[in-house]
Amino acid sequence: MTNRIAALKDVQWARTHHQARRAPVEDAALPYRDPALTDIERTALRLKTALELETPYLFPQELIAFTRTVPNLPMIYDEAEWAKISSEHYIHELGNVSNLSPDYGRVIASGLLAIRERLGGGALHSAMRMSIDAVLDLTKRYEQAARDAGDGALAAVLARVPAGPAATFREALQSLRILHYAMWCEGDYHNTLGRFDQYMMPYLQADLDAGRETQESAFELLEAFFLACNRDSDLYPGMQQGDNGQSIVLGGMTPDGTDGYNLLSEMCLQASAELRLIDPKINLRVSKDTPLEVFELGTQLTKLGLGFPQYENDDVAIPGLTALGYAERDARDYAMAACWEFIIPGKGMEIPNIGALPFANTVDRVIRERLADCPDMDALRREIREAIFASVRETLAARKNLYVIPSPYLSLFFDGCVEKERDISLGCTYNNWGLHGTGLAPAADMLAAVEQLVFGGEITAQELTAAMDADFVGHEALHNRLKTACPKMGNDDERADRHAVWLLDTFAESVRGLTNERGGCVRAGTGSAMYYIFHANELGATADGREAGVPLPANYAPSLNVKLSGPVSLVKSFTKPNLSRVINGGPLTIEFSDSVFTQEESITKVAQLVRLFVLRGGHQLQLNTVNRERLLDAQQHPENYRNLIVRVWGWSGYFVELDRCYQDHIIRRAALNL
Amino acid sequence: MSGKAGVVFDIKEFAVFDGPGIRTTVFMKGCPLSCMWCHNPEGLSPRPQLMVSRAACTGCGACRRVCPSPEACISCGACVPVCRGGYRKIVGTAWTAEDLAARLQKDADVYALSGGGVTFSGGEPLMQWDFVADVIARLRGVHTAIETSGFAADAVFEDAMARCDLIMMDWKVSDPALHRRYTGVDQAIIRRHAQMLCAGSTPFILRMPIIPGVNDNEAHFETAAQLVKDAKALVRVDVLPYQRAAGAKYGMVGRTYSVDFDETRPPRMYTECLEQAGIPVQVFR
Repeated sequence: MTNRIAALKDVQWARTHHQARRAPVEDAALPYRDPALTDIERTALRLKTALELETPYLFPQELIAFTRTVPNLPMIYDEAEWAKISSEHYIHELGNVSNLSPDYGRVIASGLLAIRERLGGGALHSAMRMSIDAVLDLTKRYEQAARDAGDGALAAVLARVPAGPAATFREALQSLRILHYAMWCEGDYHNTLGRFDQYMMPYLQADLDAGRETQESAFELLEAFFLACNRDSDLYPGMQQGDNGQSIVLGGMTPDGTDGYNLLSEMCLQASAELRLIDPKINLRVSKDTPLEVFELGTQLTKLGLGFPQYENDDVAIPGLTALGYAERDARDYAMAACWEFIIPGKGMEIPNIGALPFANTVDRVIRERLADCPDMDALRREIREAIFASVRETLAARKNLYVIPSPYLSLFFDGCVEKERDISLGCTYNNWGLHGTGLAPAADMLAAVEQLVFGGEITAQELTAAMDADFVGHEALHNRLKTACPKMGNDDERADRHAVWLLDTFAESVRGLTNERGGCVRAGTGSAMYYIFHANELGATADGREAGVPLPANYAPSLNVKLSGPVSLVKSFTKPNLSRVINGGPLTIEFSDSVFTQEESITKVAQLVRLFVLRGGHQLQLNTVNRERLLDAQQHPENYRNLIVRVWGWSGYFVELDRCYQDHIIRRAALNL
Repeated sequence: MSGKAGVVFDIKEFAVFDGPGIRTTVFMKGCPLSCMWCHNPEGLSPRPQLMVSRAACTGCGACRRVCPSPEACISCGACVPVCRGGYRKIVGTAWTAEDLAARLQKDADVYALSGGGVTFSGGEPLMQWDFVADVIARLRGVHTAIETSGFAADAVFEDAMARCDLIMMDWKVSDPALHRRYTGVDQAIIRRHAQMLCAGSTPFILRMPIIPGVNDNEAHFETAAQLVKDAKALVRVDVLPYQRAAGAKYGMVGRTYSVDFDETRPPRMYTECLEQAGIPVQVFR
């Protein structure tokens, strides 16, 4: 780390720039809430208002500029308007476009003015023009500020981009920073940085070839960009701070079918390890051909406890996506949404988290209501299959007449939006929806317990449900048998794993052939997002021996409080299902004690374990390094742990900034006690 | 045809400190030594025994109500299933060589992929050598290692050297009188077996637990260096500084952890004695 970066990091960490922020703007007298304006006009005017209120703020020795000084403006609708729209439509999350992967590469390469020239007089084009002008106006003011501060180099960069095409790595980074910054200001959120190493590498290569930058100077620029991604994190909406979607994807197959891992991929891994910040969160695309050294580099990050990289396996994801109807070139170009959903940069207006199939709740309900009438496992499975199909249909039926707040500025980054004069909120090339699948492992464990004890003739269905109703009080012997003598998913035990395989296959079949109202398909997945907390609260004690109130595992992971054989069995269990059929995403999460990494050779061993997962057909993997004592101490003394980063569900955040229930869950997760 | 069953107190996958690559370590129950700093007290007795997490116990009394032998625990396990918190377990599971070999063989692909294998530790694996040798004979294409104190009959040690791909042997205390005091056994046998390793061709790692005030002196490191400096099959010397968590499990098996050295003082290290003799050293922190 250069002195300049170290100084920038220190200044930024002190958060003095937060003091430059103006007070929140009040609802009254917002120009964009004029009832005569359309939603598209309102959005553009809101962006213009927000950017006009901005005051250029430069850090000492700034390399990559643009810092927020204006808190988020109120939305384009007042309360009454929004209540009316919400009552007439399905609204996803906050209502804005979110969770997409814009095509930054195209806009950085052309510049905003080249796009502006193609705009006509229509409503959307007018809004796009207003947005572009607002962005360029603020850029001009930043340029002047840089000149006033005597920073001619920065001023020169700002004079060229994002108005014109970037010619250098620094210009490309600065352009990206401004383009992404303005998305947040528009109200769009969780829009990821996508395949950063692919669209940025040409600029880096050109600089290196021309001798304009050395690898060291380029690395400094890269770190400055990473730092900038962390400046305004507290202004980004999310379930919890840190849940902001600022992730990048490194490596992986290019649309042409070649290997995309390059020098910049490696530099990103190194910069992330050196800076130890939550953003950008790193996804690393790998395959059976990825050399062990790449996994080792990724493991160096894991060792730091950042909760990333998250690994994606091309060998599983690409065929899975093409099977869903994605063109092969697009499937090869996949990126990750905010957490772990597979999406297509510049082409997808997908909602990969529109709902969830609650595996644990569904299986639990069937066991409670139907088990007594089932003569055998086949009969029980038929009931569960029906319940899964019904749950999926019910979820989709509740998602009709979707309304998304328009995003004329964001539309500039998506295929066909300018040409067709169609706002991205209305759709793009891919309009698929995704469903998470929560509580898979507990559901499989419930089935394994029922198969062994009820259909094995040891207890009756009534005895089981009576014990569950009593939260096992007075049924300690049965409780213990359920917990310790019945097979559990994660131990490479067919008696449990085969139920998980079947449940995921059934989930994949339940969405097959379904279309949403935008003509897209419905994708099944293995993620949980925050649903693991919601769904657990709705559950009493369950047939796997889980007491009421015990949380469900996050994402694709074994049940909490289950005795596990170890990481090898875990990987084997969780690679048994046909994961290309449930390619909405959702990683296997493995927690390591930080003591594993006290020896350098552990890096190689953990890297080999990751590679094992990939070779066996795993789709997505995320490793955490945790120290339980440190986390407990951080709850007691948060002031000592401001920098402590943990993985939450699909993203990393600062532990002390999380709500208590998320903190507790992280502490409870099955640490493998290595 | 299966021989005598072996008693195992744990099987640990991905044991990163027990040899090369991704390994599974089998902890054999029972040890003839009684090292004062032993951190696996449940590995000392050769028999299955009850282990209780007393710190978490809520004192509900369910265990007492079902106990057939309240005066002295007979490790019958009657109290295990009634404990609501799951704080009681019997450590020590009898395995047939056939079953254990199958359990280990199942992950042979993983060992092969990573240059790993299986390690037998303990306790003292040589105390159940017939069983361990039987398991090793049943494994196909699996790298095998043992972690041993070296305290065994000569014939057993020789056989282990012949059958294992790697031997990890402790060199605990150089001074014979102190050795007896801190480990409970005579050092002569162990020294003889260390010399056999040095003269032999089986790859081996010498492991040195370093205990503050017991063996954290230059003479001990110097003796170890002299012992192995000419050994052709020596892979390296592992130096394992004392960890304060060592006493954590004593209460769970009804023992008291009591030491006569100052646990709080970090041990002094003289690894340069080894390095200067050209011996590769790895320090475990």
